[in-house]
Amino acid sequence: MFFAGVELLHYPQLKGLPVVVGGRSIDMPRQLADGRWQFARLGDYAGRGVVTTSTYEARALGVFSAMGLMKAAAKAPDAIILPANFDAYRHYSRLFKQAVRDIAPHVEDRGIDEIYIDLTDHTEPSQALAQRLKDAVYSATGLTCSICIAPNKLLAKIGSDLDKPDGLTLLDESSLQSRIWPLSVSKINGIGPKAVAKLATIDIHTIAELAQAEVGLLQSTFGRSYAAWLLNVSNGQDNRPVTTYSEPKSISRETTFERDLHVRHDRARLGEIFTSLCERVAQDLKAKRYMAGTVGIKLRYQDFTSVTRDLTLPSPISDAAAIRKAAGECLKRAPLTKKIRLLGVKLSQLMPMEDSENPTQKQAPLPFE
Amino acid sequence: MNIKINRDTLLKPLSSVTSIVERRHTLPILSNLLLEAKDEKIVLTATDLEMQISLALQTPVGGELSTTISAKKLLDICRSLPENAEITMATAESRIQVKTGKSRFNLQTLPAADYPVMTKATGTTYTVVSIDQKSLKRLFKQVEFAMAQQDIRYYLNGLLFEVNGNRLNVVGTDGHRLSFTSTELAQTYEKQELILPRKTVIELIKLLDDSEEEVTIEIASGQVNFSFGDIKLISKVIDGKFPDYTRVIPVGHKNSFNVDRMTILLAMQRASILSNEKYRGIRMVLGSDSLRLISTNSEQEEAEEELEIAYGGDSLDIGFNVTYMIDVLNNVNCDTVTFSFADANSSCLVTVADDETYKYVVMPMRI
Repeated sequence: MFFAGVELLHYPQLKGLPVVVGGRSIDMPRQLADGRWQFARLGDYAGRGVVTTSTYEARALGVFSAMGLMKAAAKAPDAIILPANFDAYRHYSRLFKQAVRDIAPHVEDRGIDEIYIDLTDHTEPSQALAQRLKDAVYSATGLTCSICIAPNKLLAKIGSDLDKPDGLTLLDESSLQSRIWPLSVSKINGIGPKAVAKLATIDIHTIAELAQAEVGLLQSTFGRSYAAWLLNVSNGQDNRPVTTYSEPKSISRETTFERDLHVRHDRARLGEIFTSLCERVAQDLKAKRYMAGTVGIKLRYQDFTSVTRDLTLPSPISDAAAIRKAAGECLKRAPLTKKIRLLGVKLSQLMPMEDSENPTQKQAPLPFE
Repeated sequence: MNIKINRDTLLKPLSSVTSIVERRHTLPILSNLLLEAKDEKIVLTATDLEMQISLALQTPVGGELSTTISAKKLLDICRSLPENAEITMATAESRIQVKTGKSRFNLQTLPAADYPVMTKATGTTYTVVSIDQKSLKRLFKQVEFAMAQQDIRYYLNGLLFEVNGNRLNVVGTDGHRLSFTSTELAQTYEKQELILPRKTVIELIKLLDDSEEEVTIEIASGQVNFSFGDIKLISKVIDGKFPDYTRVIPVGHKNSFNVDRMTILLAMQRASILSNEKYRGIRMVLGSDSLRLISTNSEQEEAEEELEIAYGGDSLDIGFNVTYMIDVLNNVNCDTVTFSFADANSSCLVTVADDETYKYVVMPMRI
């Protein structure tokens, strides 16, 4: 919704209309000679992109994030389609985060449009504080946001979804049973579709049912540690601190092709894409000032099955050519009989460049050539 | 189908072939070994698809058997049985019963016909080289520690095995140091080279003994076979170009000294305690008749060892990865070693008094 919100700031005339973000740059709105804007319609879309986000009006027509655009077009042919403008989203993301930090500096970044704020040290009444944060975000960006103030991150996350859009929710332990328990278990971050299905088999659908479930039954279904976690979260327990900084574990880039590619017949094209992915991921790595100890690839085939392969290097690397070489070694180990739909390159075992770039001690290689 | 065999007869051959069975594998049958008994002979075969060991045992077994069975479980069972236990093995459908005294084990089997047996390459010409077990084992042990491990330059994860004229040259390198050894062969051959995979080398060192018994080595394209004693080992070779080792073995390093191997080994080991844990650097400081080994770690702690040597060459202050030095000192079998240098930016050559063919080259480390 954040992306759609930013788009509506640019094109306020689209307010109230079903709008979908995603797709190709040729769908960029054009300004006509008379000053009016011409927008592309979803019904005219052809390709294999997916919906990045959609407005509430589009959602009412059944169009949701991650849906194929062609499928979305069948449901809402008259919806406006806009290509994603990530530079603009990043710009607004920075603006809103800065507005929050000016009030409460202890912020955990959870992506482009989501943050956790530690408000433990604020004495201001919660309602007023939440309103002040919302006002600050609005005046900095023109965007509304949903805020929940709760005793922990788990409840804050669930609560922030309760009164969307433009929500302001206050939760405390006493509201757990009245507001959280009636919800579906799928509202809990960490209970995915598979776990939801498995819970349904033991007749658990709501968070209340989960909270009152028998420990033994959960343990035999999910194993000890996940069962313990399920009981904790369904009772609103969460001890995770708000962490303002975390070391990235991996950096990756992946791309879905315009059409499925064949390893031999499309060798040249595949090679180009592969090299460019490695170059981009190398740039990301450099920008974050890391070196990578492990290079991995991900392949998704035409039948949507995926494989990954990785290679740990004797010493960390950072340049695109070395990444390309290592990723090429990984590719050799992957089955390549089916056509490929998606290719990704992932760097992990990251270490800060300061340590590795100028080692105080440097081993010379044998001069074979 | 059933056979009888003495536990002690089976145990050692069983553990020899089982060592190549991988714990993690894609094909379930690869965790099994092939057991074939017929005509008073048992053949045990294990493979990881890269190499295969077959071991033939001449022993009265009183029957026939042909099946595949979990290598690890059979080994664990044999190990834990009392000495000299008489084992009976009987197959029925997809199971095998291993029985001795009052112990019974019923194990799953997979059909012998499904076992992915590696066969000797046919239709190719072989170069056949003979050498005694003891010499081959010594050659491998002199160089195996210098091989790379999981290096992206896959051709370094093995040993160069080069037959040239009447010489057999064996070389291992990880790109920072190189170990070279050579021996004379009874015959003369055209030049042939191959790269033996790391795992094959390590298994061969375990299987070879210190006898004068002959090892027959058959070199074909893409494959090499070793036959010795009761053992036949087939291995794929690494497809790649081994770097030209002759370019990095220095000649004419004029600054050299001899030193007692154990003395310098112990000094290196002591000094290594306070070397940087990651880079393992150590400085060798050479002056008139003296060698100092100096190490410091990231906490600015220091170790210094001083050795009296006979040295009249240039003063030199040169750094090395101490692990590379300890490796060579641990693996050469002689009392005196010679270190030779050119300058602080060039390699160090380590040679030994009683084997003039042996050469170990190690590149310096900037400290």
